[in-house]
Amino acid sequence: MRRRSLLIVIALVLVATSCRRANRPASAVAIARPTQYELRLGKEVYQSYCIGCHGDSGAGDGFNAFNLDPHPRDLSDPVFQKGKSNAELADAIRRGGAGVGLTSLMPPWGHTLDDRHIDAVVVYIRSMKR
Amino acid sequence: MTLRRLFALSSLAFLIVLAFSPVKNALRPYRALQRQFRVVGIARASSGKAAEVYSSRPIAIQQVWIPELNNRVDRCTTCHLGVVDAAMTSAPEPFRTHPPTFHTPRDVQRFGCTACHGGEGLATDEEDAHGTSADATSPILPTEFIEAGCGRCHDAEAVRDAPTLSAGRALMTKSNCFACHKARGHEDFRADAPPLETLSMKTGAEWLRRWLSNPKAVDANATMPNFQLTGDDIKVLSHYLFARPVPPQLQHAIELAGAEPNGDSARGKTLFAESRCISCHTVGGKGNGSAPELGTIASRASRGWLIAFVRDPHAFYPQTKMPRYSFTDADVRDIVAWFEDELKDFDAPADILTPLRVNQTFAEKGEKLFKSAGCFACHSGVKEGERFGPDLYGIGELKATSLDFGKRSDLPRTLAAWLDAKISTPRSFASGLKMPTFAFDAAQKRAIVTALLAIPAIPVPDAYRSTPVQQAAIVPAGPVGEIMTRYRCLSCHQIGRAGGDISTAPLTFEGSKVNHDWLVNYLAVPYSIRPIIAERMPVLKVSKEEAGKLADAIAMIYVDPSTPDDPFLGRPASDHDAAEGERLYTTFGCRSCHIIGKTGGYYGPPLTETKARLKPGWVFRFLQNPQRWRADVRCPNYGMTDTDALRLTAYLETLAEAPAVPVAAAAPARKEAAK
Repeated sequence: MRRRSLLIVIALVLVATSCRRANRPASAVAIARPTQYELRLGKEVYQSYCIGCHGDSGAGDGFNAFNLDPHPRDLSDPVFQKGKSNAELADAIRRGGAGVGLTSLMPPWGHTLDDRHIDAVVVYIRSMKR
Repeated sequence: MTLRRLFALSSLAFLIVLAFSPVKNALRPYRALQRQFRVVGIARASSGKAAEVYSSRPIAIQQVWIPELNNRVDRCTTCHLGVVDAAMTSAPEPFRTHPPTFHTPRDVQRFGCTACHGGEGLATDEEDAHGTSADATSPILPTEFIEAGCGRCHDAEAVRDAPTLSAGRALMTKSNCFACHKARGHEDFRADAPPLETLSMKTGAEWLRRWLSNPKAVDANATMPNFQLTGDDIKVLSHYLFARPVPPQLQHAIELAGAEPNGDSARGKTLFAESRCISCHTVGGKGNGSAPELGTIASRASRGWLIAFVRDPHAFYPQTKMPRYSFTDADVRDIVAWFEDELKDFDAPADILTPLRVNQTFAEKGEKLFKSAGCFACHSGVKEGERFGPDLYGIGELKATSLDFGKRSDLPRTLAAWLDAKISTPRSFASGLKMPTFAFDAAQKRAIVTALLAIPAIPVPDAYRSTPVQQAAIVPAGPVGEIMTRYRCLSCHQIGRAGGDISTAPLTFEGSKVNHDWLVNYLAVPYSIRPIIAERMPVLKVSKEEAGKLADAIAMIYVDPSTPDDPFLGRPASDHDAAEGERLYTTFGCRSCHIIGKTGGYYGPPLTETKARLKPGWVFRFLQNPQRWRADVRCPNYGMTDTDALRLTAYLETLAEAPAVPVAAAAPARKEAAK
């Protein structure tokens, strides 16, 4: 009698474990892509502050680019994108060209934009890769 | 024995019944997720101590309870365990860190999740929580429209970091949605559509027929939607509109103007370009586009009407944004002569401006249609508290099952899809519907659906609501106010929170910014301060006397008390060393955007005439924080020291244009450059 009830309990536990496996949600797949919101925010920031020199597609061909020597960076260049980490891009935006040993014609944005906006614009720059 | 067996069986049954609930609980998907989170967390932990925190996490329901926000209980963090956990950036869902926004992570305990995202906060399994079924009380907001969540608390038209919502709200105002639909905060909305009293002397039956059948096809800048009128509708409406009596004074003015001799078309062309009409209008699609296209204006309005209207737009159309230029009678004749010569639809039939001979029976039918189709809502105004269409209260939280999809069996049964179809093809749901069709593109539709989804069923409590202070523009009474009204300064410029957005220069603190004498000259003969911006200050022909009065008032009223008159006062001479300032100008790379002399970028205004134009106190304050007065100023804040800002100010204040170019000679040169 005792053995039988024990068996029933074991059976229940077994059923329970198998159910748990079946119930494991399928949505737990890795995604690293940015959210639409980050992209939209980044695009808004880019179009407000960066587009004049770096251009619509990031190619460094904004309407103000021809006045600048050295020329604005082509941000859509895959080689450039590969060579820079997100942190490096954010740093150059924050401290400006002069801050990272390049030209002072690229201004520092760290006092104008907060980290959230700078990170969003980095996300957007990544999306401009040719 | 039987009794004992019975007892054993019944206790076993009892045990099974008792075990049901704990077993069911043990099988809840969130428990599996929480165990999985431990594994992910330990793998991502930077130290043994951090890993310890993950491994010792209890398996339990998590919740944020906010009694003061409509008694909200959000258990979303039961599965979304990494929402405020920086180690979970780009972790697999549902563990991923919330993307940084103004309110996350800092306000999660204050707002919870469903206040912004929608969804059923109490539920602890995915389907119920996200409200994916059609009869869900509160389905989660699709990420495409996520900014609607911002709009539940933020009442302002422009909401920072929510560009889609802001665009949608602005578009709804511009499209006059609130002329027919009541919505909270828009109860007093008045459409500014033109009155139609002088239509019979303005245009012809053929032009009106084209306009009524599709306004956007006639003028791409038209804000009037397409009412999809039948040929008969158009006929009776035309008869009604042509039957309306013209006010005697205007009739007289139009008749007199029409009888005037022809003007000088070549001079008119120059005047038109100098006056910068395309700061609002377009010609052949070029221009700002907030006012009608003028490319075919002479085939749209009669000569007499155009002359009389340009001379005094406010007599015809009191709500108009158009200023009353101080043109001479001959100026207006010349401009209209140029319209007649060149701004014409050369393919149009000769009778496009021939008025209609009115049939009274048709006119009466037309009058009924004018009411029943809702034309009056924009063109004649509505009675207090009355709107033609259904009101929009709570439209953003309507249950999908309560919506009338009518003939649209093709649509997904969601509120967003329903709203999108309502603004794309409003009459496709049933016959007899009255809402007109707007030609919105996909981005505009997404923006409007976002703005609509932001209208909550139960408004958030006042403590959570962010309502902008309704600050009316301070326009002085008396003669100065009359001058400002005449020239419609507020159509383009902002004063406080009121006014248009065509100009980048708000007038709120203009008196602290520019020198009085410069302003007098500028008002009399304005020129382009920012060469890259197509919208320029119109040459309104302001008289010297008016310009003086305006400049006096601006210097007195529109001032920022925190801006010093003399920023150098009490500072050592080394602090206003202009040579040091010039070096800083190079160090900071200012020339990438600004021109001094002949070199520099085109992004910001040239600084060549700073001494004449800008007050040193203002320059100093601006350099300390360019976004001080207007958040969207593009000039970066360099975080410079006060001493650097002073030195740079000292340098900029040495910049005076060598020999001032006579303004009269400069005007045509600018026109050439604009081409």
